[in-house]
Formats: sequence, C-alpha cells, structure tokens
Amino acid sequence: MKPLTPRRVLAVCSLLLLVLFVAVVISLRMGAYPISIPDIVATLFNRIAGRTDQIPSEFLLVVFGLRLPRIALGIIVGAALSTAGAGFQALLRNPLADPYVLGVSSGAALGAIMSLVFAPHVAGAIQIAAFIGAGATIAVVFLLGRRGGQLDTATLLLAGIITTSFLSAVIMFLMTTLSGRDLRGISFWVMGDLATAPVIDLKWLFFVLIIAAGSIYTTTSDLNLILTGEQEARHLGVNVRRVKLVVYVASSVLTGLAVSVSGSIGYVGLLVPHVMRMLFGNDYRLLIPTSAIGGAILIVVADMLARTLLGATEVPVGAMTALAGAPVFIYLMRRRVR
Amino acid sequence: MKTMPPIRALFAAAILLALFALVTRTAPARAPAQAETTASAPARTITDETGRRMSIPATVRRIVSLAPDVTETVYALGAGDRLVGDTNYCDTPPEAKLKPHVGNPQSPSLEAVIALHPDLVLASTSINAAETADSLLKLGVPVYTSDPHTILGMLDSAARLGDLIGAKAQGEALKQNLRARLDVLQVRLGDRPLAHVLFLVWFAPPQSIGSNTFIADALRFAGAESVIVSDENWPKPSFEEILRVQPDYIILTTDHEGGATDIADLRSRKDWQSLEAVRLGRVITVSDSFDRPSPGLIDAIEQLARQLHPEAFVAEAHQ
Repeated sequence: MKPLTPRRVLAVCSLLLLVLFVAVVISLRMGAYPISIPDIVATLFNRIAGRTDQIPSEFLLVVFGLRLPRIALGIIVGAALSTAGAGFQALLRNPLADPYVLGVSSGAALGAIMSLVFAPHVAGAIQIAAFIGAGATIAVVFLLGRRGGQLDTATLLLAGIITTSFLSAVIMFLMTTLSGRDLRGISFWVMGDLATAPVIDLKWLFFVLIIAAGSIYTTTSDLNLILTGEQEARHLGVNVRRVKLVVYVASSVLTGLAVSVSGSIGYVGLLVPHVMRMLFGNDYRLLIPTSAIGGAILIVVADMLARTLLGATEVPVGAMTALAGAPVFIYLMRRRVR
Repeated sequence: MKTMPPIRALFAAAILLALFALVTRTAPARAPAQAETTASAPARTITDETGRRMSIPATVRRIVSLAPDVTETVYALGAGDRLVGDTNYCDTPPEAKLKPHVGNPQSPSLEAVIALHPDLVLASTSINAAETADSLLKLGVPVYTSDPHTILGMLDSAARLGDLIGAKAQGEALKQNLRARLDVLQVRLGDRPLAHVLFLVWFAPPQSIGSNTFIADALRFAGAESVIVSDENWPKPSFEEILRVQPDYIILTTDHEGGATDIADLRSRKDWQSLEAVRLGRVITVSDSFDRPSPGLIDAIEQLARQLHPEAFVAEAHQ
C-alpha cells in the first residue's frame, strides 16, 4: 500500500472540492429560466453582502428558491449514497455492493411508504422508517448471500436481485391499493428524482449526513486492516465486530436518508467508489472522503442534465445515473468473473 | 481503537463548514418576491378548491395553465390572449399548441413557469401532482387548483375561474349556457332507462372508471351508467368480470393523435368477440374530450347521448 500522508488526502480532496465547486457554478447557470453568469455572480455577491433589494426578485427566486436548494439536496444525496456504497463494499468485502443493486434502496423506499401510510404527519418519521427498512434489508441480503458460511459474489447479487423485485412488488401492491391517498407515484420510489424539495429542513439532513459519514470515516484505518484479513486485524487489536457494526448502521442511515428525500437513485454507490479506487487507490482513509465528494459531483452533474436535456421537461435523475451506472456494473462484473 | 489524527479531524471540519455554509445560505429566499407583486396592484386573498390560500393581483394579466382541461376553459372564457404558457399536452383549441410550454402536466419545470412571469398559475387535480402546486406556492407564485369530480362541479369551477381572471360575466354566461344544454338533454332523455356501458380509458389491459370520477358523472348525463362499480379512480377489471357483467355498450376513447382501438380490433380478438355488445356492434368511440373536465366535455356528452338513445332525438325532431 502506498504511504498516505495527510498532505495527500488534503490535496486530493481540495482538488475534488474544486471540481464540485465548478459543477455547482455551471449547474447554477443551467435551467429553463435564462440567467447569465455575470447575473448569477452579482446575485450571489449581493445576497452574501445582504443587499437583497438590489437583486431582481425573480433571480432571487430562481437562484435561491429553486436551483441552490436542489443542488444542495443533490450534494447531500450523492454524498450519502456513495459513502453508503463504499461502506457496504467494505462490509461485504465486495466491490459490486451498492444500495440500489443490493435492494437496500427498495427496503428504504418501502419503509418510507409505510411511514407515509401509518404516521403521515410525524416529523422525521419517514427518515427513521427508511433507515429501518434499509437496515433490515441489508441484514436479509447478507444472510441470503452466504453460501457455506462465506459471502459469495454471485449468491449475494442474486439475493439482492430477488430482494429488490420482492420489495418492488410490495411497493407496487401498496401503491395500487392505496391509490387516491396523497402518496407520490410509484415511479418516484423506483427511479428517484430531486424535483420536489423535501419537507424536512436540509440542515437536519446535512447534520445526519456528517454524523453518519463521519463515523464511517473514524473506522477507516481499521477497515484497511480488516480488508487485508479479519484474523490479522484482530491480532493487531482491532475490534472487528464494533467496526462492522458502526459501518453497517451508518451505511443504512445514509441510504435511508437519501431514499427518504429523493427516492431510489441507482448505481451512485457503485460508480463513484469504483472510480475513486481507480484514481486514488484502495486506502479507505482516502476512499471515504473522495467518494463522498465524488458522489456529490456525480449527482449535481446528473441532475443538471436531467433538468435541461429535454428543455422544460424533466427526466428523473435516477434514469440518468442508471444510464451511466448499468454499463459500468456489467464491466465490473465481467472483469471479476474473468 | 486508535484516535483520529488531527489533520483528518481538521479536514472533516473544513468540509463540514463549507457545505454547511452552502446549505444555510439557501434557506430563506422568498419574501422579496411577493413584496413586488403586491406593490404593483391591489391584491385579493382567495382559497382554491383544494383549500390552499393565496393572494393574487386584482387584475390578472399573465396566466400559466398546467393542465389541458384548464387551458381549454381559459380559452372558453375568452382569455386565451392572457394565457402566456401551457403544457406539452395542451392541444385544444389548436392555438394552445403555439403557446410556450412548461413541460408535462405531471412534472412541469418550475423554472420555466417562473420565466413566464405569471401572476396566476392554474392547475387541476385531474392531472397535476400536489407537489407542483406546493412548490410554486412556497416560492410565492399563486397556484389555483381546481378539483372537479362532477359535471356541475366542473361548471361551477369554470365560473369561479372566470371570476378570478376578471372574466366574471363570461364565466357566468359559460356556466349558464352549458347548464342549459345539459337541461335540454335531460328533458330529451326523459326517464328512459340508463344504458349499461363499459367505459374503457385504456384497452389492453382493460382499465375503466370509478364511481367518483367526473367521467362516471358525465355518463349519467348522457343517459348511461358504468357497469364497473369501484371506489378506485381507474380500476382494472379482469376480462372475466367484464364477461360476467355483459355491458349493453362498450365505449372507447381516441388517443391524442385521434387513433383508437375500434370495433374491428375487438371483433378480431377471440375473448372480446364473445361479448354480446361486440357481436351486436354496440361499440362507440368517443373523442378524448371525455377524459377532460372542460367545456368540450358537454359536446362529447351530447354526442354520446345521441348514439346511445337515437330514438329520443328522432322523437324530438318530429314534434
């Protein structure tokens, strides 16, 4: 393993944050409402300086009411999904693990729908229910994916596929029998989008994201050791059970968080950690932060395309990520089989 | 358990701070937008048909419609020139197709709506998602949503819309006119027994209408009754169920391009040709106006009544 200096972590992450910043600026510029870059800059500048009376009210509306909240939501969802993906990959020791592929997103979606049915107006209930759904699903997939006491890639993926289709069927059933209730359409839970701002304040989502991603981050040195061999890690004094528990709970929280506000957006947790591994290596101390920022970049760019490609008509951002993610998944799978 | 190296903690804190700053910046955003509209014209406060309250200018100059039926009503009220935008689905009257579009009714682009500077956005529960109206209202854009479940409710709704956009007289006239036509129809049909019909909004798999839809109500005005009884809006009866209820007539709708499944299709299919209605040729294709709670629906009702009860109209002609 290449020695990883704090300086390198800082340099790589700063670089990625710069890319994210550029993506955010471009994304702020794009949309059905025409605003030029100088106008955006002036709007941002006046807003920060507190001179809101100098900005045309529609610019304020479009930039701060529509685009920035949506971009911020995209950053939170993207970071949550790819950190969760990297977490599940470490937990299952399998680079093909991803909340969407393993059915964890469907579990979170089912939890979210149940809470909308049984506790429709309780603040935060949908997030907690989505977390429980995600946690229960990954536990089931983990048990089903074992063969002779060992996790087997093909069995794990099959378990994920079966679980996804079963949960989708339950969702379909619920949505059909409950039609007329004030639930969002089936397509939202199957292929998520960022078009509607969540009821819950972004600040709270962000707070949970930092706590959950941060707790995975504290385990990264131990994760590196565990991935070289659990036995050896134990001998070196790593509390393997505790580390796994932290990663399991935190990854489920992150998946539940993302799905509860954006529906199931697929392949982010697969695509981003994989690209980050190719670029920066396998060290989890670097992989977790770069995946978080990379996920944010991916969703910001994908959502920008989703809301501009067809003019005023919006494509679900989940369709965009699946278009990019599915081929990568096939590539990864074939490479592993060989 | 090892402790976190300081540089990593620092780094995490930096990201946290940067992102937090970004998120908190976005929160309060909408107050100034409303101030401007209220300054330009005296406002009135209204409650729409879904219970949402909002403030709209006394004189509405720029209207955006998010639903085909609303677009049609706006034109019927003579306010087509004040309609500054509608959706990809708005095709009646033909001029509506030339207006700038804001996307599909189910997921319009909010930015495109704002870019048209509307002082009133009109929506309908017949096709629009509740989230769309909520989001626009949160941004300070007034959205009036109509919620038609019956034909008379639809006429009231049209009159109310007329009042909102400063076409009160036209609205009342439209309502009275359509109401009068329905009354004439009632008199003609008298107390003839209702025809038992299977109304299909979709052919394969068969999808019909529930009892609480405006289509079910429209059928009653045309002297018909749906054989499918359901609380769901768009129930999907099995073919066995259709076979069991044996409708007198089967009613199909044309799609947007005017193409449709017709009796020839039904006769070519083994299962459907076993129905008595198909054997007797009692299959009627109605225009897609039947799918929209708009003034054109009254034409469609009259037409259907003529086809279901031709004798009622012959008798009237002789008198």
